[in-house]
Amino acid sequence: MRRIRLGGAVLRGAVSTALVASLMSAPALAAPPVDLSKWSPEYVRSIAGTQDFDTAADCAKVTPLDYKGRLTFWYQGVFEGDPDLLRQYYKDFFATFRKTYPNIQLEEQALTYNDLLDKFRTALLGNAAPMAVRLQILGGTEFASKGYLQPLKPEDVGYSTEDFWPGAMKAVTWDGVTYGIPTNNETMAFIWNADIFKRAGLNPDKPPATWDDVVKYSKQIHDKLGIAGYGLVARKNAGNTPYRFMPQLWAYGGGVFDETTASPTYKKIELDSPQSKAALQASYDMYVRDKSVPVSALTNQQADNQPLFLAGQLGMMISHPSDYNVMLDLQKKATGADKDKAQTVIDNMRYGLIPTGPDGKRAVVFGGSNIHILKPEYVEGGKVDEPAAKAIICMWTSPEWSLKMAYAGSNPGNLNGFKTKWMKERLDNIKFLDVTTSMLPYGIPFPALPQSPEIMNIIIPDMLQNALTGAMTVDQAADDAAKKVKDLMGGGL
Amino acid sequence: MTIATGKAEARATLQPDRSGVLSQVWEHRADYAYVLPAIAVMLIVIAYPIYYTIELSFFNTPPGLQLRDKIFVGFDNYTAILTSQVFWKVTWNTLIWTLGSTFVSFVLGSAAALALHREFIGRGVLRAILIIPWVISAVAASYIWKWIYHSDFGIIGAVLVGLGLADRPPNFIDSVSTVLPSLIVVNIWREFPFAMIMMMAGLQTVPEQLLRAAKVDGANAWQRFWHVTFPHLRNVSTITILLLAVANFNSFIIPWIMTGGGPSNASHIWITHIYELAFGRQRWGVASAYSVLLFLILMTLGYFYVRALSGNERKDGSA
Repeated sequence: MRRIRLGGAVLRGAVSTALVASLMSAPALAAPPVDLSKWSPEYVRSIAGTQDFDTAADCAKVTPLDYKGRLTFWYQGVFEGDPDLLRQYYKDFFATFRKTYPNIQLEEQALTYNDLLDKFRTALLGNAAPMAVRLQILGGTEFASKGYLQPLKPEDVGYSTEDFWPGAMKAVTWDGVTYGIPTNNETMAFIWNADIFKRAGLNPDKPPATWDDVVKYSKQIHDKLGIAGYGLVARKNAGNTPYRFMPQLWAYGGGVFDETTASPTYKKIELDSPQSKAALQASYDMYVRDKSVPVSALTNQQADNQPLFLAGQLGMMISHPSDYNVMLDLQKKATGADKDKAQTVIDNMRYGLIPTGPDGKRAVVFGGSNIHILKPEYVEGGKVDEPAAKAIICMWTSPEWSLKMAYAGSNPGNLNGFKTKWMKERLDNIKFLDVTTSMLPYGIPFPALPQSPEIMNIIIPDMLQNALTGAMTVDQAADDAAKKVKDLMGGGL
Repeated sequence: MTIATGKAEARATLQPDRSGVLSQVWEHRADYAYVLPAIAVMLIVIAYPIYYTIELSFFNTPPGLQLRDKIFVGFDNYTAILTSQVFWKVTWNTLIWTLGSTFVSFVLGSAAALALHREFIGRGVLRAILIIPWVISAVAASYIWKWIYHSDFGIIGAVLVGLGLADRPPNFIDSVSTVLPSLIVVNIWREFPFAMIMMMAGLQTVPEQLLRAAKVDGANAWQRFWHVTFPHLRNVSTITILLLAVANFNSFIIPWIMTGGGPSNASHIWITHIYELAFGRQRWGVASAYSVLLFLILMTLGYFYVRALSGNERKDGSA
């Protein structure tokens, strides 16, 4: 297996790209606990295990451990595409919280990524929301702008703003006020099956360097082996679609607005730019012209790609490091010859940096989740137990738990998590983690706008579906999407 | 016991007026008292939401605002709906979905009912088997069918490729041209047992002696069906078709779970589109306007349903 020489490459890339500036542009970056300018796999290894933290003692300063109260809490929890390891950490977290705060009556509810926003919005309309909620990174601005959330900053739970990624803090800030705290932040990486590459006549140790290469490799794999090359996903109302298409869009130089710049204004719509159309054309070429991606891409999400990949029927995809653990979980459930076949795929699983665009631009979605406290008038019963809410937020965003709850698939929102002994252990246990952490400097946050969920979950997938089904040409689909964004931003019906 | 005089009777006949209505209400006061709790509940859970939906349909609800900050736009939502291409596409889909599902379910259900009306060995088992699709959860059925249809690994595709009948699996639900018919097949599979049960119940009401008499008079099987059985099934058929049509118009689970209305809106029907507008895009105003239009259509169907039921009752009463 080829391990990419990530240190030098990433450092060079990170320094040379404006995307770094985007993540580091907040004035709050005065004294972060880690030096983001040195970010590289070597640096991450060097700081791992260098500091101990006592979570209970830290949180006791925020909410006394004998505090008696009641808390309702909804969170974006594990779903079918997550590994068993993560499920266990979620169980451990709630067990530990109950043990640490035995007098807080916790009523938690897990919801999947795709269901949470709809359910939360509906609950808010009926003033039946929970007291605290952990939302996907897209959601914070929408609810903050509508006035549903209480101001909440890291200092309110014993941390400092500098302890968190500046890019992540942007996603919880609306109109200059902070309304939440990041729990985890991640960037994905490019995954390929070296065995499939070899059989298709490609260099098994060399991932596609550009998105144009992805199109070529996908076709070559399909033509030679009769299987799907790249795991395109274009399902509507599913987070997986923008997480996989936006890196492609940005790499080609496109965007929804100017979100790839250091100080985005979100004024000019770029979805109908020639660069955006080129990115859409690449997807069209793979799906329609070459037929080199799964036909089911329009109804697929990443959880559908995972079994395809494990079955050796898919050559490349974009995902988290947790997909390696998911493959191990799935392999355990396989029987007979399927088990061996799955093992071959796992042995040949490789991770690399997400390809660049034609101009060498590399980008990935800076994803993650945030935790918020609701205003009492929108909560069932009309009361919020703030000390109880702060207790769980302190614990979840602590260096220890923000690391553990992101163990296999993400990274701690609290940068101090990188210094813990669990990070050290994780670097040894979680394969390919260094690749995805290396993508962090290339991360671009979704536009911090209340309209972002609709843009990312509906308009972008619609654009893809319109082009890929032939309902519209590539140009028409891009123009149509740009018009929808314009109408949306104009407050249209 | 009251003995009415001739004059009083004449007055009552000549004056079916308000006092008569009021006296009737008074006479049935106990009946009204019994249904009052149900009416109160209905007012809360049905009448108020209907009123609120109608009110909301006159407002714009941009995603950046709370619902209470909605902006009055008059009939703009209705105008926007009626002039939008998506509306006509979704309406066309809804018509195909409703008519296709209703008609085929009814025909298949009726045929199955007629077949199972005869005595034969294994009839009970067959009847139980045919009812299975109807008792399976629609959610579970939708997921199962999604995998059956899967464009890369569906069992239908695998069988066709395995038998050499196709080079690659057919694209059932990822194509704009095949997705709606594919979903209609699933809906028919789930619904025809309902039509079957209804029609089997209807067949029980056909007098055996009439069929025997027709046979004695020399009528063949088709003539017996057309002239004796079918007239007796007319009312139950009307009710079954109306119930199926209303259920199909309101159908949500199968299209939403299997395709979410996609690809490219090709399987969006009114209900799924309204859901997406409201809960996915927070266009509560537009979604409400859609709902008002849907309500009017369903009320019309409901009117015919009640009329069919009343017709039945009158017939039963006169029999």
